[in-house]
Amino acid sequence: MALRSLAGSIAKSVVQTMGVSGPSALGAGRLRLGQAALFGLRGYADAALTKDEVTARVLEVVKNMEKVDPAKVNEESCDFTKDLGLDSLDTVEVVMAFEEEFQLEIPDDEADKIASCQQAIEYIAQHPMAK
Amino acid sequence: MVARLSGIQKQVLSFYRSVIRTARAKDTDLRDQILRHARQELDKRRGIEKRNVLLIEHYLRKGKKQLEVLQDSSVQGIGTFTRSG
Repeated sequence: MALRSLAGSIAKSVVQTMGVSGPSALGAGRLRLGQAALFGLRGYADAALTKDEVTARVLEVVKNMEKVDPAKVNEESCDFTKDLGLDSLDTVEVVMAFEEEFQLEIPDDEADKIASCQQAIEYIAQHPMAK
Repeated sequence: MVARLSGIQKQVLSFYRSVIRTARAKDTDLRDQILRHARQELDKRRGIEKRNVLLIEHYLRKGKKQLEVLQDSSVQGIGTFTRSG
């Protein structure tokens, strides 16, 4: 009981600070809170990409690179330099393409470490912001 | 494992990344122009010896200055003059 009245007073003060009043406005406020919680959950669900999905999309990005022979791209041997014959500048382009595909920003020192599809998949799969 | 990159190599790659980031913010035409130009200029200097750090730094500075100009949102397009003959 005491808890409920506490919640009520908090809700009222929230409504007051929002500069609205009345029961309907309170309802709207609740709805908004509910939606926020829903979006929060959705965001979390989106973030949890499966490794298979990441793998498929990484390979797709690599296959679409201009200088890459798509026939050579497979999950097991996909070292950018050794298997695909890319130089360091091409590698930069590939990693930047991953950034675009998964909507993340890979800092320089991390990007320098990514030299194969496997490394890219590992990095992206554990990245909380990857979409 | 990755071939170990030297400090100056990392700087060049980092510079190339910022060029690509800058290009992304532009419209398709200008983006392609910037990417093509950057890659061309980098490829032109491919032959520079690794130990010639002074020369690499010189070109890196030049590139950074060009990039600053490109970051200006009023840039409409880029062009270069080539010597003929």
